[in-house]
Amino acid sequence: MNKTILTLLIGFGFSSLSFHAQKEQKSILFINAHLHKGNGEVMQGAAVGIVGSKIELIKSSVSDKQKVEDWDTIIDLKNQHMYPGLVAPNSTLGLTEVDAVRSTRDFDEVGTFNPHIRALIAYNVESEIIATVRSNGVLISQITPRGGVITGTSSVMHLDGWNWEDAAIREDDGVHVNWPDFFRPNRGAVSAADEDKRKESYESKKKEIRRFFTESKAYSESKKITKTDLRYAAMKDCFEGSKRVFFHANELQQLLDIIDFSKEFGLKFPVIIGGYDAYLILPQLRDSKIPVMLPRVHSLPESENDPVDLPYRLPQLLKEGEVKFCLQNEGDMEAMNARNIAFLAGHTTGYGLTEEEALRAITLSSCEILGIDQEYGSIEVGKQATFFVSKGPALDMRTNEVLMGMMDGKWINLNDRQKDLYKKYSNKYENQPKMTKEKK
Amino acid sequence: MKKFAWIVFLLPSILFGQITHPNNGVADSKPEYYAIRNVKVIVSPTETIDKATILVKNGRIEEVGKFVMIPKGIVEYDYSGKTILPAFIDLNASIGMPELKSTPYSFRPQMGSKTPGSYYWNESIHPEFSAGKEYVVSTDDNKKYREMGFGAVLTHLNDGVAQGSGAFVLLENDVYQSVLHSKMATFYSFDKGISKQDYPSSQMGSIALIRQAFYDAEWYKNAKDQTVDLSLESLNENWDLPKFFSVEENYEVFRAKKIADEFKTEFVFLGAGDEYAIAKDLKDLKAKVVVSLNFPNAYDVHDPYVSRQIPLTQLQKWELAPYNAKYLADFSVPFCLSANGVKSSDDFWKNVKKMMETGVKQEDVLAALTINPAKWMGIDKDFGTIEKGKIANFTVYDNNPFESKSQVLEAWVKGIAYEINSKQEIDIRGKYNLVIDGKSVPIEIKGTVAKPEGTVVLNPNERDKKTDCFIELSNNDVVIQFSSDNSNWQGSVNLKGKFNSRMAIFEGSGQLPNGKWVIWSGIRNDRPEKDEPKKKFEVGELKPLVTFPMGAYGNEKRPSSQKILINNATVWTNGSNGKMEKSSVLIANGKIAQVGRNLSSDGAQVIDGTGMHITPGIIDEHSHIAISKGVNEGGQTVTAEVSIADVVDPSDINIYRQLSGGVTAAQLLHGSANAIGGQSALIKLKWGETPEGMLITNAPKFIKCALGENVKQANWGDFNTVRFPQTRMGVEQVFYDGFTRAREYEKQKETGNYRKDLELEILLEILKSERFITCHSYVQSEINMLMHVADSMGFKVNTFTHILEGYKVADKMAAHGAGGSTFADWWAYKFEVKDAIPYNAAMMQEQGVVVAINSDDAEMGRRLNQEAAKTVKYGGLSEEDALKLVTLNPAKLLRLDDRMGSIENGKDADVVLWSDHPLSVNARAEITIVDGIIYFDRKSQNEIHERDNAERARILSKMLEANKKGEKKEGFIKKGNKHFHCNTMGEEGTENENQH
Repeated sequence: MNKTILTLLIGFGFSSLSFHAQKEQKSILFINAHLHKGNGEVMQGAAVGIVGSKIELIKSSVSDKQKVEDWDTIIDLKNQHMYPGLVAPNSTLGLTEVDAVRSTRDFDEVGTFNPHIRALIAYNVESEIIATVRSNGVLISQITPRGGVITGTSSVMHLDGWNWEDAAIREDDGVHVNWPDFFRPNRGAVSAADEDKRKESYESKKKEIRRFFTESKAYSESKKITKTDLRYAAMKDCFEGSKRVFFHANELQQLLDIIDFSKEFGLKFPVIIGGYDAYLILPQLRDSKIPVMLPRVHSLPESENDPVDLPYRLPQLLKEGEVKFCLQNEGDMEAMNARNIAFLAGHTTGYGLTEEEALRAITLSSCEILGIDQEYGSIEVGKQATFFVSKGPALDMRTNEVLMGMMDGKWINLNDRQKDLYKKYSNKYENQPKMTKEKK
Repeated sequence: MKKFAWIVFLLPSILFGQITHPNNGVADSKPEYYAIRNVKVIVSPTETIDKATILVKNGRIEEVGKFVMIPKGIVEYDYSGKTILPAFIDLNASIGMPELKSTPYSFRPQMGSKTPGSYYWNESIHPEFSAGKEYVVSTDDNKKYREMGFGAVLTHLNDGVAQGSGAFVLLENDVYQSVLHSKMATFYSFDKGISKQDYPSSQMGSIALIRQAFYDAEWYKNAKDQTVDLSLESLNENWDLPKFFSVEENYEVFRAKKIADEFKTEFVFLGAGDEYAIAKDLKDLKAKVVVSLNFPNAYDVHDPYVSRQIPLTQLQKWELAPYNAKYLADFSVPFCLSANGVKSSDDFWKNVKKMMETGVKQEDVLAALTINPAKWMGIDKDFGTIEKGKIANFTVYDNNPFESKSQVLEAWVKGIAYEINSKQEIDIRGKYNLVIDGKSVPIEIKGTVAKPEGTVVLNPNERDKKTDCFIELSNNDVVIQFSSDNSNWQGSVNLKGKFNSRMAIFEGSGQLPNGKWVIWSGIRNDRPEKDEPKKKFEVGELKPLVTFPMGAYGNEKRPSSQKILINNATVWTNGSNGKMEKSSVLIANGKIAQVGRNLSSDGAQVIDGTGMHITPGIIDEHSHIAISKGVNEGGQTVTAEVSIADVVDPSDINIYRQLSGGVTAAQLLHGSANAIGGQSALIKLKWGETPEGMLITNAPKFIKCALGENVKQANWGDFNTVRFPQTRMGVEQVFYDGFTRAREYEKQKETGNYRKDLELEILLEILKSERFITCHSYVQSEINMLMHVADSMGFKVNTFTHILEGYKVADKMAAHGAGGSTFADWWAYKFEVKDAIPYNAAMMQEQGVVVAINSDDAEMGRRLNQEAAKTVKYGGLSEEDALKLVTLNPAKLLRLDDRMGSIENGKDADVVLWSDHPLSVNARAEITIVDGIIYFDRKSQNEIHERDNAERARILSKMLEANKKGEKKEGFIKKGNKHFHCNTMGEEGTENENQH
């Protein structure tokens, strides 16, 4: 009899099932799930059937009785919540291990125009940080380099795998451009307190980008290439549309310039990462169909004048302006903080988004912007079985407790070093007589 | 005033006319006896004499008045129409001082002083500098000041913390005649100036340094067998001179005042220009201020994308600078005015005009430039007014400069006239018929007396066609040139001649286009038209909004405590009543008056809390917001002498932002750059209070210590490998050494013969358990180590902060009695947090440690409730216990739990009204109350935001006007969000992170 009905033990583990790339199960049926599809829909008492790597069935466990015999395994998710795997775009996860230790930082290459630099190959699947992120339900990330004007090429990755090759969901998905800073075009150095000089300097930085795009466009259209240029070659797919161009920028002037720039070069998939001022030009963004990966929700307002809760409210403002957006988490300690992306989304539910809208902003919307929504981002029939089950609502800190999860139909490892240490030292205390507190 | 009055006796009575230096050539016999007649004399701020006569003899005023007999044989001037003012005095000048030369920058630390000689150990303490000894005449500076109307200044070297003494000098170009008093006052600041020595690296370090130097000087007076310290000697020698303190922002006044009180002395403040914001406080402090006339430039605001980014604070600084004196005058704060930093006399008078347009009275302005400085310095016997017997320092203007646009004509310094703008006495304006070579040419001369402009009529048939002609006038010499195209002459006619003003005729000769020299003349037919009366300065109606603090979201007045009743909410008491459903909280007199159901409102403001939650205010055990100029005094390994409480900045916008996250109190900790850092400030988030008003009264004393990577400078790059310690092994010895020295100091103290050491005083407090340690720590070895140090020295470590490996030694911590204040889930930012786990808080709690969750981060400080909620996920704490991690437990760790941390009768009314379950991810703090005062109300947030926007728009349009008028402007430099972290060095915050 190869049919089993599992009653799940609460705790961390699910360890009997947690190892990489376990031998594929033929078919699994999850029943009685509180299903958050990721596309905005919720379904109580859902039955979700997985065959191989794909979701084959979504029905109501209550109204449509499933035949137990049809499934190799049936898992009852009563009172539990099922979510598509969360997505952390624009992250250095796997490229850094200890922020302060230079030898562990692999995300910032020398050079100004580096489209040929590929984050993918430095991605460390065994990163201990990744394990802690995965065990909070974040299953997909866009691994992105930093530094320079064109920082390099990102890739969309699974947060589990044997090596970068099999972890890749979308190899080299896009090129990242740090748009020159409107106020400090010379990055870092404070410009002279002269408005005209500053503007001049901003314009000249813009020209450099324009020149690079013009030249690489010509290169990519050229029939006779006599001398190979790896940088220009790496830009080719951007013009053809198979690679996205991600513009990192926040200021109003920058955003308007990026809209023009994208039109000028006929870019098919421009994306703005940041877009702090996007709420001021919603119609322009909507009309030009440029999506925005908003700044980290948990960040301070840029200026003393800004409303204190502006970063919390940006998602709602973009929703109202009908601009496509998702959340990302760039900033201080971004790698380790990727595990909190559910709570960033959760926070916006106090500021205008519904729970399902907030979820969409870290699942389906992200996948749409990354161009992987055909297979990922929501729990729908025909999509990859990439999801997790939480004991309670996953966007709230108190109830986010990931019990199990799958990536492309394979069970994922939910253990991490932090849990090991927790167990180790809990055991220490359990096995020793309690020390009494000294009287003060 | 009394304090300085006796200075008068110190000053030698100033006699002129006798010189000690040899003269090259025969003795000079300049006339030294003058009479100035028919002049309007503004004798003093309150007395003006029209058509007066002044007699000046040997540099002094012999007589002034309406009816003065002019002795025969003296030089007489008729100054009718002109106005004479007493020469101004600037107490804040830095002219004729040596050029400041800084040593080149080095990546390596500089621990000791590089000043040669037997001086104080710190380069920025150089009280021995004497402006009188170093003074050289700078004719350019003298000229600039005289052009503004000054006659004498108190000059000093503006460098360092103890800057030395200043000299009172006349703006006289002969150095032998300039210095009237070589040591008139001493000068101080919080800025270490050109010193490259590591210490002090923060404002609180400067504060401690001045205090220590003052204590050292006191001790040095009677110290036996002590080697010479020339700096301390100078401090003592000059102690009784008036002391000036130069501030860079208004809150520094409070800081300096505290030092003055400690040493029973007084400072006169050299203001920063933003004293308007604390005008009332200045009055209460009885402070005297030298107000700067150097106003900030306008920003270039023609691009709205740029101007929208300029913070309100910056706009206000520009607009309010001219109002500074007005606010001080309104609160009767005594002030003088200074031209320090003003570039030219044009700027000076422009700014005086701007200031007067705010409504400062003429007599107040004049007093602030003349008699006030003279009185403050005790030299009003000789200076400040134009009165009999005083030194003849006065300035001649063509009009009263306080009433209308005027020109400075002459500056009289000690009876010697320096001409500034020549007086054009002769008025040639009018209509003439010139006769040139027998031909008649009508000419009309208009313009001003000094700069006449003319037109000629070349064709008698076309009287309306006027041709411009060039006129140059110097006394009664006149040049007239015009181009002719009439039948008489083709080309340039060049005339030169003299004007006879009695007859009103020109006579002279000139050259015609054909080269022929001819005679010409002209007779005036019409008198010049009368000058239009000059426009008087107008006083503007508007007095801009001053808020507490200045900038966005400021309170229009300092809010006061109210009686408040919040009804029908879920109350998390943290006390024996636990969580109370559908209950009310009554607040009165800043305290919790009652908690329960059906409370009577009894005149209280009633807030409906239906469906909402009330918790005690969040207390952030580890915060670095609201700190001025440096969170780390990293200049030395042990800096117990410095205190964050000295540098609280109530204007930090993060105070308001954190109120919006329910924070009501915080421990502002020194950073972790050294093993024994500085003392903490325990504050309440009373937005807009004074620095002192932010501090929790009678709070227990705390100090920051630190262990690990920051202390050993592990992540500071390859150059910082000099300062001890560089290993954890060394860190232990720093503590043993410090506490051992403190014990020895205690013994020394008992003998009565000791030098007060601020650092050891504080260490001694720790040993006596009068001050408690919050220690930055990460790994278990060092945590263990410090507990051993404490045990062996007989005290307890009160709190370990960060304490990310606390879970490994929680049992030992509980046994020792140490608490732990940690992060919910941070890790991976440096090597020593490799073993950090989010279960830490719950595990420590389980072992009986008092645990708090803190922010150490201005951003995270706004959502500590959410961070606390993570312990439900990681480690399974109950919700009530989780909430205590950010309320009651930090209160316990700060030993404030008798007044804060729970909602119980009699406790401080620090409460938060939440929109939802306080640990839920969507809960918003709707109202935050501190000491019974509503400091944040989400509903009024929008209103205040709109008020600020309107205020910004108003000032921006004013600034745009200034741009258009061509006033000086500069580009706006946007600064990112700058914050202090544990590891931030220097006085500026950093945009970089990963520093905890």
